[in-house]
Amino acid sequence: MSSAPSTEPSTGTRPDPSGEPLLRAVDVVKHFNVGVGTVCRAVDGVSFEIRAGETVGLVGESGCGKSTLARVLTRLTPATSGRVIFEGVELTGLRGESLRQQRKQLQMIFQDPFASLDPRMTVGDIIAEPLTNFKVVRGKAKDARVQELLRVVGLNPYFNNRYPHEFSGGQRQRIGIARALALNPKLIICDEPVSALDVSIQAQIINLLEDLQAEFNLTYLFIAHDLSVVRHISQRVLVMYLGKIVEIAPSDDLYSTQFHPYTKALLSAVPVPDPRVESQRRLVELTGEIPSPLHPPSGCRFHTRCPIAQVPGICSEEEPPLEEKGNGHLAACHFSAQVGAALG
Amino acid sequence: MAGSMNEPVLEVRELSTSFFTDDGEVKAVRDVSFDLAAGETLGIVGESGCGKSVTALSILGLVPRPGRVVAGEILFRGRDLLSIDREELRQIRGRDIAMIFQDPLSSLNPVHRIGAQIEEAMRAHDKVAPRDVRPRGLDLLRQVHVPDAARRVRNYPHQFSGGMRQRVMIAMGLSNRPEILIADEPTTALDVTVQAQILQLLRDLNRDLGTSIILITHNLGVVAGLCSRVVVMYAGEIVEQGSTEQIFDAPQHPYTWALLRSLPRVDADRHERLRSIEGLPPDLIAPPTGCKFNPRCPFRLERCFSEAPELKPVGDGQVAACWVTMKRAYAEMGAGSLLDTRAGAASGVRPPAVPLPLAITGGSQTAGPEPLERE
Repeated sequence: MSSAPSTEPSTGTRPDPSGEPLLRAVDVVKHFNVGVGTVCRAVDGVSFEIRAGETVGLVGESGCGKSTLARVLTRLTPATSGRVIFEGVELTGLRGESLRQQRKQLQMIFQDPFASLDPRMTVGDIIAEPLTNFKVVRGKAKDARVQELLRVVGLNPYFNNRYPHEFSGGQRQRIGIARALALNPKLIICDEPVSALDVSIQAQIINLLEDLQAEFNLTYLFIAHDLSVVRHISQRVLVMYLGKIVEIAPSDDLYSTQFHPYTKALLSAVPVPDPRVESQRRLVELTGEIPSPLHPPSGCRFHTRCPIAQVPGICSEEEPPLEEKGNGHLAACHFSAQVGAALG
Repeated sequence: MAGSMNEPVLEVRELSTSFFTDDGEVKAVRDVSFDLAAGETLGIVGESGCGKSVTALSILGLVPRPGRVVAGEILFRGRDLLSIDREELRQIRGRDIAMIFQDPLSSLNPVHRIGAQIEEAMRAHDKVAPRDVRPRGLDLLRQVHVPDAARRVRNYPHQFSGGMRQRVMIAMGLSNRPEILIADEPTTALDVTVQAQILQLLRDLNRDLGTSIILITHNLGVVAGLCSRVVVMYAGEIVEQGSTEQIFDAPQHPYTWALLRSLPRVDADRHERLRSIEGLPPDLIAPPTGCKFNPRCPFRLERCFSEAPELKPVGDGQVAACWVTMKRAYAEMGAGSLLDTRAGAASGVRPPAVPLPLAITGGSQTAGPEPLERE
């Protein structure tokens, strides 16, 4: 990352949108102990930043550590090492009430709209829960706020007495979004928010998220396995593989230029709803399976499946650093210059 | 393979399937008719609850209680699968028509070795000679590109990844050299790189063995890559059918058109707001009268509320069930530059007097006049 960590701002100063990012992750590591002497390296040294007002996408296949990273960023699970700095405050060091207060600014939307809402609470109570917890408003003002939030997410404000089972998947996701908005957060981490929804409903929710961002000046970290959706909604895209970020790209560049063979392979596999594009597809096929995060490969973690790796050689021996390739595009590959030519 | 390219191996005629629940009759599939030609790859697309999976289960006589086929014919090589006896149907199922499902883990038995399960699929029918069963099992695993197949036949399902399990399911499906393979969301649970490999495999099988494939999916990108013909379903009915080129280049039903425009594309040049389809699919116990898409259709006419349109030719081999069709919507309603996707937005035909109780409209349009205060 280019920004120097030396200018650590003190707590309470308002961050300058052009300077200090809203959120900075520095070498974040999350290891799980899974039995004696065995460690699952779910997130293994991840650094990136999110600027205020931006939407950053995070993609990768199942098991790459993207959801674990989200949980570490929100301190739902503690990091093994590394730092998460939000608005200049280091979240990783906070405890108790000071952590609770910071969390107001940082909310999450979950994938499964059926599992993430308590079936025995009314929709009004679900949305009001954060308001009650943080004693923001009470009584009539709280009811008004709940109805306002329902309206903001495109639901009838008089639905506040209904229960989650009375709503469809897309409507439940709107309820989850209303709950996340209740405390006026600055950053919302969306973990696969549309992958459980039907195509026509997906578009409604994506548009809603975009409208809310413009209206309330929100910042999103948008996690999904669907590259088409991530590219659509994000300004920058982070690509994760086996606990590491392998490429960070402005989304306008992502489809035209890739500096990591894994990104290239991912993009080559995305189905496009156009028979002509499909008939010209050149699939960069990956051999083998994604390795276990219990025993990640030496050197570059992708070398066991990489079509252009030099093995034995630098790829199996030395871990490539995440480096700037120009235009805000970063990649971690020893042969990043050859990716375009070698893989067409 | 029996028959020429044009001769249908499967003809579905006016199939209707219902589920008889405590709340009433759910009309899951209504008057569905289509042909599957020998060697053809047919896609059935639609969103959850549109009846695409129930159509497939109806073909194989696998509709679970409280559902049953209430009308129609399913002709396989000219014989109606709905009127033959159970034993005969059991013989056809797995031997002549095989099916693979979305979740390969729940379709495999966890306590039996992979090899034994593939062999069982062959022993259940007498198409493969008993002494060929074991070597063929191994061959099949190689054919679906399971690496190190000789060792892997002795593994159990939990030792396989999701993509590998789906390969095993395909190997089982192919074991009796079926004429038809029905794949119900075969790649939905898989990662995108694995999905691409499985689709490639299905393409190769269709080309090399001539197996006809019915692919059931919600993913239009997957259909564009694999299928030569497409059936689009909405609320239990076929709303449009045509060649893949016709469906993607010149869709005539507003639902097909809207579905294609609501998708973000990874290869898009610039960021455009997605054109969502407003509202929700209808309740199939009490569907709307007239065209079932009318509560969500920007191009609806007065007629759409009262009269259900039938499938009519709209191109060479293309049919659509719509009173308007997109040709007219482009010519008379400015569909090309339509930004407002609410029902009736293009035609000016507004909702009937009583609005739907659960109707929702697009995001910020309904936000109150006063903006949320930030502290």
